Amino acid sequence: MKNYRNLTIKELHELLVKKEVTPLELTKEALELAKKDTNNAIEYLMEKEALEIASNLKEPEVNNPLWGIPFIIKDNMSTKDVPTTASSNILNGYVPLFDATVVTKLKEAHAVPICKATLDELAMGGTGTTGHLGTTYNPYDRSHKHLVGGSSCGSAALVADGVAPLALASDTGDSTRKPASYAGLVGFKPTWSRISRFGLFPFAPSLDTIGFFTRSVLDSAYTLNVLAGRDLNDSTSSTKEVEDYTRLLNEPIKGKKIAIIKEINEATSDKTLLDLFAKTVKELENKGAEVHYVSVSRHLLETLFPTYFVISCAEATSNNANLDGVKFGPAYDGATYQEVMTKARTKGFSELIKRRFVIGSYALMRENQNELFLRAQKNRRRIVEEINKILEEYDLIYTIAAPSVAPTFDNASDKLSDEYLIADNHLVIGNFTGLPSITIPVGFENDLPLGVNIMGKAFHEAEVLQLANKIEEITGLYGLVAKEGK
Amino acid sequence: MEFEPVIGLEIHVELKTKSKMFSNGPVLFGAEPNTLVVPLDMGFPGTMPIVNKEAVIYAIRVSNALHMKIDHELHFDRKNYFYSDLPKGYQITQNLRPIGSDGYLEIEVDGKTKRINIERLHMEEDTCKQLHFNTFTLLDYNRAGTPLVEIVSRPDIRSGEEAMKYVEKIRSIVVFSEVSDGKMEEGSLRCDVNISLREKGTEPFGTKVEIKNINSISHIQRAVDFEIARQSKILNEGGTIAQETRRYDDAKRETILMRVKTDAVDYKYFPEPNITPIALSDEFVEDAIKNCPELADSKKVRYMNEYGLNEYDASQLLIDKDLSNYYDELTKYSKQYKLLANWVNVDINGYLNKNNITVLNFSLKPQELASLVEMVAKNTISSNQAKEIFNKMISDNLTALEAKKALGISEQISDNEFIIKVINEVLDEFPNSIVDYKEGKGRALGFMIGQVMKKTQGKVNPKLTNDLLLEELKKR
Repeated sequence: MKNYRNLTIKELHELLVKKEVTPLELTKEALELAKKDTNNAIEYLMEKEALEIASNLKEPEVNNPLWGIPFIIKDNMSTKDVPTTASSNILNGYVPLFDATVVTKLKEAHAVPICKATLDELAMGGTGTTGHLGTTYNPYDRSHKHLVGGSSCGSAALVADGVAPLALASDTGDSTRKPASYAGLVGFKPTWSRISRFGLFPFAPSLDTIGFFTRSVLDSAYTLNVLAGRDLNDSTSSTKEVEDYTRLLNEPIKGKKIAIIKEINEATSDKTLLDLFAKTVKELENKGAEVHYVSVSRHLLETLFPTYFVISCAEATSNNANLDGVKFGPAYDGATYQEVMTKARTKGFSELIKRRFVIGSYALMRENQNELFLRAQKNRRRIVEEINKILEEYDLIYTIAAPSVAPTFDNASDKLSDEYLIADNHLVIGNFTGLPSITIPVGFENDLPLGVNIMGKAFHEAEVLQLANKIEEITGLYGLVAKEGK
Repeated sequence: MEFEPVIGLEIHVELKTKSKMFSNGPVLFGAEPNTLVVPLDMGFPGTMPIVNKEAVIYAIRVSNALHMKIDHELHFDRKNYFYSDLPKGYQITQNLRPIGSDGYLEIEVDGKTKRINIERLHMEEDTCKQLHFNTFTLLDYNRAGTPLVEIVSRPDIRSGEEAMKYVEKIRSIVVFSEVSDGKMEEGSLRCDVNISLREKGTEPFGTKVEIKNINSISHIQRAVDFEIARQSKILNEGGTIAQETRRYDDAKRETILMRVKTDAVDYKYFPEPNITPIALSDEFVEDAIKNCPELADSKKVRYMNEYGLNEYDASQLLIDKDLSNYYDELTKYSKQYKLLANWVNVDINGYLNKNNITVLNFSLKPQELASLVEMVAKNTISSNQAKEIFNKMISDNLTALEAKKALGISEQISDNEFIIKVINEVLDEFPNSIVDYKEGKGRALGFMIGQVMKKTQGKVNPKLTNDLLLEELKKR
């Protein structure tokens, strides 16, 4: 069989249209690769569904790039009749009654779902080590020493390992864009409310967005074209009209004003990364972009993580209160309702999750709310104002995506260093502000990918994709997959 | 020592919208358990709340009827707690910005008008229904997510009677505005009473006791009166009131301890992140108010001022919204307002009670009843005949004219000249009766009328005949 594992959606689409390959062949290859997965990335293989859908796809849709394209679904998205656990034992055996809107839309576009991908438990975590299947590995390191990042660890690992050119993910802090950086992928998060969240298991709804991984910027634009739009099942989804997000990709960037937040780039010590970053800046300037360094108070940036942690844990404790063993998931006997719930939650959640719930609950307590939850909200507002100020003068903000390559599992970063507090956590700015944000590969270091990030104005997805596409042209890095394992 | 009761009420009203507060699950009372449920109602992961516009309109109607300030921006909050009847582990409610605030309503007590201030009205969702058995509990999610408004009064109520009148008034408002069935027995109107005593003439509140689960209006007065007596007795004996939740047991006619309240529960409220604030246009709010069906107070004014009904008749009509609507329909076909009111309050009500049905299942069309009442008004039939016709209309499903014909009732003669002629024939034939009458023998008059009836086969209008006979007798 021919190998399609490193092709982009665009490339696959051309082959499909020319009938050089059929959706069924692509699907079979994806299923085979998924079965051979060595990264511990899969919750549930949708073999039956995938083959059924693919075998019904006969006549290529020339103007629909997603026709016949295999895709992966993060397991915190509701899939009708397909088990969905969000990688938490408390949802073992849960089979939803409905599809998430994003799943519906991709199915309607005749893309083919291949599997449910694992994640950090309930999408809480950035390491890909906390799901109920255990650790998920970075396919760029077959010795399994490096993490792939989370929480969308399974989605990232599967796209990076060539299983499918598209994976749905979610992004509450950086859960799409950070793993993208570690896995050599394009990781996209739209403006909050641009894509319906209906069917996404909520972590922190004021921060949650649907995200996705692709192997090129153009593929992200294609995907956004399908997923963006108002959904009556999500009243927070925007009524703003959907554009053709590919329309600016090949437009020149002459005159674009791009801000680099100095303190973020300064927070990394990775010289390779900074050199690669500087190279792209130079090229962008050559193409006529106006790139300037701007400053945001380090002190404010150091509050990103604690602010995020308080808000997200507070929202999470409430959003996951429905998981009580009464309606779905494993049920336990008890003399009282308290006993029933306590047993289900004690057995169903890992210690890390319980810790987050305790912190969130503590932050919401009447006597603490002012000092913690409301203070975090106020600080979030300050951060948003600061970023909006930059975007009054600039079109886009350009930064490194992560401090360096994917860390090793035994790496214990200093949680009070700027490298951790700023370089490792700044992507959450995109969630605080709700602004569109994309991570793309910028190069390699010791055979591990490095990434950069672009953030734009609200609903200016097309412009964000435009700059990303320029950088992709500069680096030539697209269609990346890890070398096949043995 | 003399005590003054300080009473505040929290009333939950289930709205009779077509669908639930935040989902498209249908709202219907009495359906098979767990048949009116969509994933959101059971808190399935990934479901999201969509605010029910109809519920907002209803909340505006009630807020307006209670003279409240109406917030033109909707904000919802989460109230977090674990309980087996709470599917999501939190209830979506309005904590910081209720849709209605600072209103009042007026009640009549001992002929005096008293104003009860109302702090707030907010929208929220109902929990699921629990059926407890010995070793297990069944959950019915049909009710889960039903829209509720909660109306919180200020502690302005001072007696069981006032409390009852207040609830009656609220019920009348929600029923007449057609936002709720307002049935305490079915739980579509639920009432919690907060009650404390303080020494008369002093300001500080005493310790508050909450009475829950009162399921009829009459029980409210009894529960409050009992609780006032209970607390007075304790205080007079030098005891202290414990902060507790009690329930009313009507069989024993007393309140019974449910639980002693420790520190108030911390519900960890925070803004609902899945519903962004919703701006209500002035037009939307005005339309909601404008399209509200007429309330009882306004109808009462109309009945008394425009229709000339006395207060008793007007109030009787307004006990039942559907009955008053029926009356309103009648007035479209007849201007005999007083007569119509009597028919509704006496005959129809009697019929409904006897047959244990509501006016909604009453078969007589207002138009037909109105034409019957018109016949009575024009003296073409007697009121006894009218009652016969009324029954015939119902039993045989006939129009007034058809029923009259079927009963062989012919038109009454109300022709004065003709009646006088017959009267004089009778007087001429029975001169002794004139003498008897003049001597004060009451029976003579009846005899003479009987003779007139005989001569006319009972077709003359009896009242008219009576009047004319008296006139003619004066002349003799």
